Amino acid sequence: MKRLLIILMLLLPIAAMAQNDLYKRYASRQELTVAQVSGFKLSESQRVDVVLVVADNEASWQKLTKELNIKGDDGVVSWLGDPKNPAQRVKWTGTTVLRVVASHARRTVAFYRVNTEAQYDALLDYQLNNMKQGK
Amino acid sequence: MTENEFDVLWQRAEAEGYSQRLAAEYPVWRQKQHRALGIVAALLIVVTVAFSVFTIQQRQFRNYEKVYCNRVGTPDAQWAALAAEMLME
Repeated sequence: MKRLLIILMLLLPIAAMAQNDLYKRYASRQELTVAQVSGFKLSESQRVDVVLVVADNEASWQKLTKELNIKGDDGVVSWLGDPKNPAQRVKWTGTTVLRVVASHARRTVAFYRVNTEAQYDALLDYQLNNMKQGK
Repeated sequence: MTENEFDVLWQRAEAEGYSQRLAAEYPVWRQKQHRALGIVAALLIVVTVAFSVFTIQQRQFRNYEKVYCNRVGTPDAQWAALAAEMLME
């Protein structure tokens, strides 16, 4: 029994590690609905982790757009963000970045964590293929 | 032979009888224990393989592996669909 408890105590931090920092940052906020989709499939060989943040009301959306420095009040805005500070726009240099997509209509921000060039390419291909299919 | 001497002899004989019986039954008991362990191991292997196959199949058919959410109620697949839709916006 004691051994089982020790194993469980060792496993708990590992389970917590499955949720990424971005999820943890927003999940504690009452006015936001936050989901982390782990292993979102972009292609047969490429998957990424996605954090979706949905503002429950207009006030919380305004607060979120201000935090993320999103200009304008309609349409969709997207940029590459720093993983530690998503509001900061960065250029792709081959290291980990966040592909951030914010939709005013949905009051939703999606953060796609891109770690490798293959994932970056797969993400672009995914968008292009869907545009071609007219979805 | 006194009654005491008889008692001592009887107890010794009884003890020896039991030890002989134990010695005879020990291999059978060990065999049964080994068989039980074998069955448990086989069951564990079957369950592990079945779970792995199920997980791999799930992974192939679904476009996500796991969903965490700070609210209950929304189905996991709906979040994966939203992740896909946001890329199409």
